[in-house]
Amino acid sequence: MRWVDFKDSVKRFWSEYKHQKSGMVGLALLIILVGLALAAPYITSHDIPEKWQTGQAWMTNPKNAPPSWENYFTSVSKAPQKTFTVHDMQVKSEKNGSMKVYTLTFTYNMRYDVPPKDIVLTGLTSNASRPQDAPKVSITVQRPPEKGVKYGTLTLLSETPLPTGGALQLAYTPQVKTLLFYWLYENGVYQLPMQIPPQLPMEMRLMYLNQQLQMNNTLYGYYQSADPMRILFGQITDGKGHLLPLEKIIYESSGLQGPYKFTVTIKAPSYVDVNLDKFEVAMVGRTYGLLGTDQMGRPIAIGLLWGTRVAIAIGLSVAVSTVLIGVLIGVTSAYLGGWADEFIQRFTEFMMSLPVLPMLILLSLYFGGRISLTQLVFILVLFGWMGTAKVARSMALQIKEQTYIEAARALGAGTGRIVFRHMVPQLLPYAFANIALSVPGAILNEAGLSFLGLTNPNIISWGQMLNAAHQNGATLNGYWWQVIPPGLAIALVGFVFVLIGVSLDTVLNPRLKRA
Amino acid sequence: MAMGFGKYVLYRVVNGVIILFLAVLLMSALFTKLATIQLTTQVDSEVQQWVRGYTQTHHQAPSKELIEQYRAQRMHYYALDQPYWKRTWMYTIDTFFFKWGKSIPTVFGTHDVKDQIKTALGRTILLFTTSEIIIILLGIALGVKSAQIPGSLLDRTISILAMVTTSLPMWWLGMLMILVFVVYLDWLPITLYSQTAVSGWSNILKKMSLPVFTIVLVSFGGWAWNIRNIMIGTMQEDFIMVARAKGVPERKVIYGHALKASSPPIITMVIFGMIGSLSGAIITEIVFNWPGMGRLYWEALQLNAVRTMMALNYIFAFLTVFSMVLADILYGYLDPRVRVGAAARS
Repeated sequence: MRWVDFKDSVKRFWSEYKHQKSGMVGLALLIILVGLALAAPYITSHDIPEKWQTGQAWMTNPKNAPPSWENYFTSVSKAPQKTFTVHDMQVKSEKNGSMKVYTLTFTYNMRYDVPPKDIVLTGLTSNASRPQDAPKVSITVQRPPEKGVKYGTLTLLSETPLPTGGALQLAYTPQVKTLLFYWLYENGVYQLPMQIPPQLPMEMRLMYLNQQLQMNNTLYGYYQSADPMRILFGQITDGKGHLLPLEKIIYESSGLQGPYKFTVTIKAPSYVDVNLDKFEVAMVGRTYGLLGTDQMGRPIAIGLLWGTRVAIAIGLSVAVSTVLIGVLIGVTSAYLGGWADEFIQRFTEFMMSLPVLPMLILLSLYFGGRISLTQLVFILVLFGWMGTAKVARSMALQIKEQTYIEAARALGAGTGRIVFRHMVPQLLPYAFANIALSVPGAILNEAGLSFLGLTNPNIISWGQMLNAAHQNGATLNGYWWQVIPPGLAIALVGFVFVLIGVSLDTVLNPRLKRA
Repeated sequence: MAMGFGKYVLYRVVNGVIILFLAVLLMSALFTKLATIQLTTQVDSEVQQWVRGYTQTHHQAPSKELIEQYRAQRMHYYALDQPYWKRTWMYTIDTFFFKWGKSIPTVFGTHDVKDQIKTALGRTILLFTTSEIIIILLGIALGVKSAQIPGSLLDRTISILAMVTTSLPMWWLGMLMILVFVVYLDWLPITLYSQTAVSGWSNILKKMSLPVFTIVLVSFGGWAWNIRNIMIGTMQEDFIMVARAKGVPERKVIYGHALKASSPPIITMVIFGMIGSLSGAIITEIVFNWPGMGRLYWEALQLNAVRTMMALNYIFAFLTVFSMVLADILYGYLDPRVRVGAAARS
């Protein structure tokens, strides 16, 4: 085949392919998918694969949170994720004796029936070498005005050390709950058997409160089951200026909507350098982003995007290798004939007789249980070439009888030349269609092995995501956002390649054309 | 040189047996290695237990020689004193002639590999073979219908359905079904799929409903599409044109002439489908908590029940080879030209 002929046949092929509607749709979708796969590091960030398995990177995210747009379909609106970085805050710093004091203020507009799940403080770094030098954080919150409430401002956190790289999850900090109960007490929501003497220092008052709470079974029960965030962001009056009973506030509170002014004070000795550049306050949502999160707080949308890379890489590399190897083996077998053909055919049948998935499982165990991408491709190719080889052989048997092959042989062409220059090119159209059609199978196999937990967990693939969902009991718990998107993505990529493959087949094999 | 049918069958069967034997040889070479690790730990724990028992009855620890003697005896019992190739060979022969023995851990409530497989096979037939029959009937009916008027609405629907479902993971669709029909619509109790065992026929039928629906939904489109393509190929043959020209009614042309002429590939598909259904599906059975062949393999893998895994692999390979041979023989019977081809060796 000369270059001019090749160009000519590609041109002819394209003019026919252009008229295949489904094929063009498939091609357009494929271009979009490849674009997404290539753009994944730029849309998100380059270090996602390293971060994927470590829990720390996703700590500020809610676990198993549904997508934020679920709010449009339900009567109860749930708070989405909202992160305040230093740039969203007003920062003031001053020197107070031997201490440096930073005051950061920001306003969180709570417009939801169900408030955030948690408030997490992260990203504070300092060069403090001793634990007692670590910067101390205090938070006060000014709630939106509520009729009948005496004290609208409350202390949420008082002088709590936050070491470098540490995080404070306020909903799980005991002090926060005690302070909130103190604020409720101050407002007269509930009475204590013995009044707290107001002249005591704050620390003592809290200790006093704690003791009395623990002595009273009912109060202590409320204390134990209370969700601090629901108190902080909840109504404590009935809207007409009457305080609600404690029981109602704890169990049936509805969100108090409006602006919440947060003041974060960070105190450190003046010889300690405090770096606030990466300081963040995350309002951990009850819902999260475009597609929610999994049990580790990883956003499904990011996994889906990165999974495209693995799916296309695996799909294409496996399909191209299996088909090319299959065609080569088939053609060689047909051309050689005789005992060589017999042997290759028996070997093909032998490989076909091995059960695919059990052997894949067994081989991945041999590679050490958790196999890498290259090993996966190798295994899938090893068990994937036989079908193509059979078809290629039967096609090559027909080509072999053509006179031009005889002519080439008569001219003294060797086996290699005849197979590669005269027979394989004839089979290329078939091979191309077959490559496209075997991509979905390869992706399905990858997904299956990943679902069974046999591939390296550092690969971000849709099968891995479904594995995580299955381990999490996502189906039985009704976490649809963990189950549906990865499977749909697998189906979509497979469908794109089937569309292309069938169109190729129709162009190259006119017998199947629709009448 | 034409071959007699008997000779052709014999040739195919011998061929199949040799391929199967080689497959078992390869698998047992792999499994013997796994088994060695497992049996060595088994011997270690048995020796430890024996030492403990001996110490209790004799009020003194056994001497080193005694321990070594006991260990050697156990090693001999598990044939660990034999070289690797010899054990592989013995394992191959045992497996090949259905002497599957006992698995060390309990799988599906028993040590006996044959009993485990009997239980699992019954359940797999109940689920997968039932589904396969539905798929075949639906596939042939729809495929023939859409081949009659290529390009019709039905034909296009089936083509698209086939394309969509070939790229759909069956087990994922299963997860989706549970999500929709069990969790959101609450049509079936959640306990059916959260646990493996169910009792009573009505519960078993209820548990079957979703997986059968899933399997049929994923597979019948592809089936119908294949039948359609085979039928369209046949309908373009000259003898159909002749039949039409003779004035044979269209119904008879399709069901009498075309379907009959297309029967060899369709029968092959039926055989492959029916026999293939006996292997179950590992992931789908995990998703639906269905204790069939696939789940047995998975549980055996988790429990390291090497003998169970080996026996299952053998059955899977056996079924594949068996259907290949059967299809070849049927092809040879229905289409005598094939026999000539098989014998014609240059």
